[in-house]
Amino acid sequence: MNIVWTIITVSAIVALTYINPQSVLTVCLDSSSQALKTALELTAVYCLWLGLFKVAEECRLVEKLSKLLKPLNKKLYGNISAAAANYVSLNLASNMLGIGNAATPSAISAIKEMEHDTVLSRAGAMLFVVNATSVQLVPTTVIGLRASMGSASPADILLPNLLSTFITSVVGIALVFVAYGKPKEKQLI
Amino acid sequence: MNYIVPVLLIAVLVYGLIKKVNVYDSFVLGAKQSFDLSLSVFPYLAAMFIMVNCLHESGLDTHIIRFIYPPFQLVGVPCEVVQLMLLRPFSGSGSLALLTDVYSQYGVDSYVGRCASVIMGSSETVFYVASVYFAGTKVKRTGMAIPIALFCNLLGGVAACLLCRIM
Repeated sequence: MNIVWTIITVSAIVALTYINPQSVLTVCLDSSSQALKTALELTAVYCLWLGLFKVAEECRLVEKLSKLLKPLNKKLYGNISAAAANYVSLNLASNMLGIGNAATPSAISAIKEMEHDTVLSRAGAMLFVVNATSVQLVPTTVIGLRASMGSASPADILLPNLLSTFITSVVGIALVFVAYGKPKEKQLI
Repeated sequence: MNYIVPVLLIAVLVYGLIKKVNVYDSFVLGAKQSFDLSLSVFPYLAAMFIMVNCLHESGLDTHIIRFIYPPFQLVGVPCEVVQLMLLRPFSGSGSLALLTDVYSQYGVDSYVGRCASVIMGSSETVFYVASVYFAGTKVKRTGMAIPIALFCNLLGGVAACLLCRIM
């Protein structure tokens, strides 16, 4: 990531300086304020979901969900701590319900629970790939945009979208199995 | 679909009430974490946005697309769609803007429009997700995770174009 980021950024700034030297600082500052704005928006979204998760945790709803999803979690992630299993289950449930912005905070908490080293573990890689490939079953943003731009049938893309998501999820999970092997029976936590 | 979130909110809160949990206290306690979370994400977002915006403003991205376009052309992927596939891993708002451009230029229900819709719906902002996920941890080496996710996005994009052709 260090090398990739540095090379791309340096070459982009060099090209930009060549075309329009005054704009370099403006573009950089605009970008960081865009980042601040995004971070603030994320705070608002996380606030709601993390609050709700805490309530669900206190009344043992999360524990029940985790128990229900245990077989699936074990196949995908191997042996993970109970806390991590709770977050992973929340994450899976949010993904299935199509609430993308609830999936993110639960995944972050799960990753924090699982990763204690500088090298990403198999379970962490799996969680990342599952989230990066299995997106909304119903792409509400896209359908909304299509409707507002005057589409004759905005939901026309549902079936190809579902198939395409399905393909990427299956291939993604399979590739994690290929790259990292099966989950170890006794994983050090 | 419109009822999922409200029902979920009501169900969890009422269930907490029945189980005699201090719902208000727990909610506030959970919500408190959100600031730390987004604060740890911010520098990563800033670094990424600087890279993406410099790349776009300098016009380097169009050169890159022209360079990598030929193999996509063979499979019948339109040029604007390649642009979308390239931008999508980095920026959600940027690719949404591009999608709007495609709609107004080609029409929402055209082949290109439908292709772009499916790509947008079935792919994810991989680098953005990665920076958000790993921001709060010590993880520095992500191994195969990002390459696998990127490959799947690419595959999904090609699959989307093929599926839109037959459906």
